[in-house]
Amino acid sequence: MLDTASNGDRRAFWQGARDSMVVAPSFLPFGVVCGVASVSAGLSTGAALALPALVYGGSSQAVLTQFIEGEGSLWVAVLSGCVVNLRMAVYSAAMSSQVRGYSLARRMLVAAFLVDNSFAFVQKRQLEQPQDPHLIAYYFGLSAVLWPCWVLFCAIGVFAGNIVPSSWQLEFAIPLSFIAICASSVRSAPMLMAAAVGGIASVLLFALPLKLGLIAACVAGLLAGVATEKGMLRWMPRKAGS
Amino acid sequence: MDATQGWIVVLGLAAGTFLIRYSFIGLMAERSMPLWLERALQLMVPAIFAAIVCSGVAIVGGQLAGPEQWPRYGAAAVATLVAVRTRGSLMPTVLAGMAALHALGWLARQLG
Repeated sequence: MLDTASNGDRRAFWQGARDSMVVAPSFLPFGVVCGVASVSAGLSTGAALALPALVYGGSSQAVLTQFIEGEGSLWVAVLSGCVVNLRMAVYSAAMSSQVRGYSLARRMLVAAFLVDNSFAFVQKRQLEQPQDPHLIAYYFGLSAVLWPCWVLFCAIGVFAGNIVPSSWQLEFAIPLSFIAICASSVRSAPMLMAAAVGGIASVLLFALPLKLGLIAACVAGLLAGVATEKGMLRWMPRKAGS
Repeated sequence: MDATQGWIVVLGLAAGTFLIRYSFIGLMAERSMPLWLERALQLMVPAIFAAIVCSGVAIVGGQLAGPEQWPRYGAAAVATLVAVRTRGSLMPTVLAGMAALHALGWLARQLG
């Protein structure tokens, strides 16, 4: 990535590393509980460490561990984790224009570190500096901090999991983390409707066979969001267009 | 679940997630994402997160958490208020929610 390490690339890389250092600590509690949960769900230490290193997506890690703990089908567990990560296809599409002319190996490396935070920083930089030739170097600078920090935070949970007394109810920090993540993801009325219906449906449908309830709730929320968008276009065209 | 099954789910999710990340960067690099798909995925994101929140708060050990578990619901409500006020800041939301869970749990024990 940096074999033509120009000064611009190097500066962008360090800028990315500095920018991400500001947000990385805020993922400490989420990472620790993800690590604790993966061990208490029955993963071996090796698999529990491979989970953040290879999957590198806290939401899907949390969902996967909840599913294997509940003795559901392993395939539904993997599928549900993938559904949680489907949003990354949007990031992938947005990044594709930045990797024109890249080799296969470089494209794979760019893809491997794509997460909500690195993408958000890249988008912000694109707004501030359109046509920045050092954007990918900046992105690798972000990832050089975010990825090791995430693996470290989860590893703390993996090794400290047995020390934390169960009376602390640390596992409750997982839904709490998602309250924050959900709040930052709602940016319009259709999104609010999708969240409301998805949330209610997940409780009503939790008894579905094979633990398909989470996927069904996502589809229900998605349909509610689409219906709301269509309704707004029809009844309040001015507001929906903004 | 044995150790092999554990590795299978971890590697399965890793492979699936990588394919999603690589989709438009590599596999379909020449194509752009259709607008309807992008909009649908964007609407799905809050639905997924809300589903994880609600099932995580309301379902304990495969059972619906009843009224006697009100501290869970109270703590989730406090965390929601903090999340909305801080525009989704992770640390304050989690800390406020955990503090509320233990404070309300203590109160429930005093009352019960």
